Amino acid sequence: MARIIAERLVTSLFVIFGSTILVFTTLYVLPGDPVDSIIDPSVATPEMVENLRKELGIDQPYHVRLIHYFSDLFRGDFGQSLVNSTPVLPQIIEQFPKTLALTIVSSCISIIVGITLGVLSAVHRNKTIDVLARMIGLFGISMPTFWTGILLILIFSVALGWLPSLGSDGWQTLILPSFTLGIIGAGFIIRMVRNSMLEVISENFITTLRAKGLTERAIMYRHALKNALIPALTMMGMMIGDMLAGTVIIETVFSRQGIGRLIADAIMASDLPVVQGVIFFTAILYILINLIVDLSYSAIDPRVRRSILHD
Amino acid sequence: MKFVKSSAFHSCILALAIIISGCSSSSGSSASPDRTPTEEKAGDLTYALATNPSTLDPGRSGWAVESRVYNQIFEGLLTRLPDGSIAPQLATDWDISDDGKTYTFHLRDDVTFHDGTPFDAEAVQYSFDRILDPATQAGNALSALHPYESAEVIDAHTIKLHLATPSASFLTNLTQTQLSIVSPTAAEEHGSQFGQNPVGTGPFEFVSWQENSEIQLKRYDDYNWGSAQSENKGPAFLDTLTFKIITEEATRVGSLQSSQVLAAETIPPQNIEAFESDPSLKLLSQNTEGLPYTLFINSEHEPWGELEARQALQYGIDVQQIVDTLYFGTYDRAWSSITPGLLGYDESLEHSFEPDKEKAEQLLEDIGWKKGTDGIRERDGERLTLNYVDSTPNREKRNDIAVIVQQQLKEIGIDVIIELTKDISTTIHENGDYDLYGNSQVNGDPNALRQFYRTPDEGARKTLSRLNDPKLDELLEQGTIELDEEKRIAIYKEIQQYIHQQAIIIPIYVFPYTVGTQESVQGITFDYLGYPFFNDTYVR
Repeated sequence: MARIIAERLVTSLFVIFGSTILVFTTLYVLPGDPVDSIIDPSVATPEMVENLRKELGIDQPYHVRLIHYFSDLFRGDFGQSLVNSTPVLPQIIEQFPKTLALTIVSSCISIIVGITLGVLSAVHRNKTIDVLARMIGLFGISMPTFWTGILLILIFSVALGWLPSLGSDGWQTLILPSFTLGIIGAGFIIRMVRNSMLEVISENFITTLRAKGLTERAIMYRHALKNALIPALTMMGMMIGDMLAGTVIIETVFSRQGIGRLIADAIMASDLPVVQGVIFFTAILYILINLIVDLSYSAIDPRVRRSILHD
Repeated sequence: MKFVKSSAFHSCILALAIIISGCSSSSGSSASPDRTPTEEKAGDLTYALATNPSTLDPGRSGWAVESRVYNQIFEGLLTRLPDGSIAPQLATDWDISDDGKTYTFHLRDDVTFHDGTPFDAEAVQYSFDRILDPATQAGNALSALHPYESAEVIDAHTIKLHLATPSASFLTNLTQTQLSIVSPTAAEEHGSQFGQNPVGTGPFEFVSWQENSEIQLKRYDDYNWGSAQSENKGPAFLDTLTFKIITEEATRVGSLQSSQVLAAETIPPQNIEAFESDPSLKLLSQNTEGLPYTLFINSEHEPWGELEARQALQYGIDVQQIVDTLYFGTYDRAWSSITPGLLGYDESLEHSFEPDKEKAEQLLEDIGWKKGTDGIRERDGERLTLNYVDSTPNREKRNDIAVIVQQQLKEIGIDVIIELTKDISTTIHENGDYDLYGNSQVNGDPNALRQFYRTPDEGARKTLSRLNDPKLDELLEQGTIELDEEKRIAIYKEIQQYIHQQAIIIPIYVFPYTVGTQESVQGITFDYLGYPFFNDTYVR
């Protein structure tokens, strides 16, 4: 196990290094001048623009800026926002817990709703509950996040007045956004669990169990479900990454704080240090999540462990 | 599909119907305006902003959203009343030297900043010199302060400001929010972070700022020097004033309808009618002043240097149709290069011309652009294309304007290519890579025209129309230095007529700043430029 972790960590370092260079280069090449978002370009004189560029250090050539960026990173310095001159790292640290809370609650909703409905729909195939579960699944997968979000706001905040539609203080503000995000994940899990359950059910060992006289309930929940959950687990690992990405939209729609909103605003303002900082941070997070998911398979399923070792 | 037969489908439809009917029946009564009115005017106001401010430092601020917030914290030497006249604020009166280059201001002696620093001549000098200092990274403030050169403190409450050249707009510029007076103590202490820790002399003091979430202000209890803007000369009525940042339109409107905020800015045109018919909500609207949203034609690009080609655009673009289609009559159509509230606005331009497709086509024919097989005009084997550049987000439906213009010009044989880019510095200002580009500006003086139409000095950046027109230059120069108001008005009328006759621009709309509030919110006022003011505001 230690070897697996060590190998994965080394690869991860390369991935982080590579993605940082990639992001830096992409942002460098893309059009968009941070100066445009700091001062109104129609008002500023070229002299003002030039001075500001110098002040911000963005008049330097690519390689100089890249070297600076990396040497700063090694010293734990993520730089300063070009727009409001505040250091990037404290901003990320301040915003991250809000995004984390949203991601965790949404994942829980996805997993609970997804597995429950997935199993029910496979067990009660072609019954009402199956149709309903499939409809919810289809809804989750096909509706754009912002649309679902606005719909939920209209129903539960505006019309019924039950839940707040904005802000990030208190558990109540978590409900609508995490449902919006959770329902998407749930949609995928429902389909995944349903399919793998149906597949498992048709396998020979189930017939054997039936022949042995086990109750249908015991067969389904004790034997079939356990086997059906392995592919769903991979899915959930990937999903947490998607959820982090989904927060960009959710945090904007529900006016929540969080790194999704931070990066969305930073992109709009071409605030390079913030964009780079958030991406660097999320890359590390993404890699960590994947590492945990991989390791947890090998813990659950010995076949996976063996295959990683013999690669 | 099989499941259609299932009873589950029918129950879903039923459930959906119940939800929808629930929505519609309760939407009208969701807010409860039946709180008992009290004698005591007070309360906490939450006000939703549509964009995220990046700084509350007036010297550094570049955008209107920021002014809306820090206008409550800071004050300037002078202020501008809704009728356009200039009134004292931190200065009580002033004299202008005969050569128009020295302004002497007498200052109030009873004012203190929120941090206890006394307001005096040195604070004024500090604030203005700070804008000149490159370390401040001042942008708009720097151009508003022009042609200020230096200040001379005469005594604690008298100051002389020296200008490089006379300026007819200097007084009005001093009323602009960017030239507010900052606390020297706080500005020194916080340096580049002053924008996160603003300290001024206004009716509200800064409490906290949660990035991307809210900015909290509270009443400054010692405030008693009033403002010509408000009836209330004492401390504000509100205990706290919280600006919530809600960028998503639907959420902003929804938050107001569900009373999660008591006021929200920039109500989208499609919601305005619903607002007006809902008794629990109110809609306030004030046109912003300055340059309306205007399409500037790049006269350096072929064939737009030719008057006939520009006129063809003027006749070919049906502005009324654009404004009616996109804003449902909630935005006023612009007719001139400046907005109706500015000094010298030429009313005679209103309804003075109509779109005329045939005339537009004739004008293009006259200068040799003949229709090709695909309906697009050609001259000497060159197709008539027009590169329409817009900056990315669909602010005020500006992207949609581009699309309608594209349709309209296609009818007269012009192929419009729409390019969305955020990199205005490079595309527009450096490379001049456009034929049409739209812009607007909030400003209180017609001198704003100078920066958009006057031939720039050697080496300076070109204007949006890339003009080089000595006649216009001369008129704009006269407008800048003419101190006699009647003469100044005549000059600006001539300028507007000339810009129209030369078809230099296509004015589109005057932007109304709209604020929706709960019925319980009273006394939000607007200053001349359309910025809100909360000194008279209270919540019933």
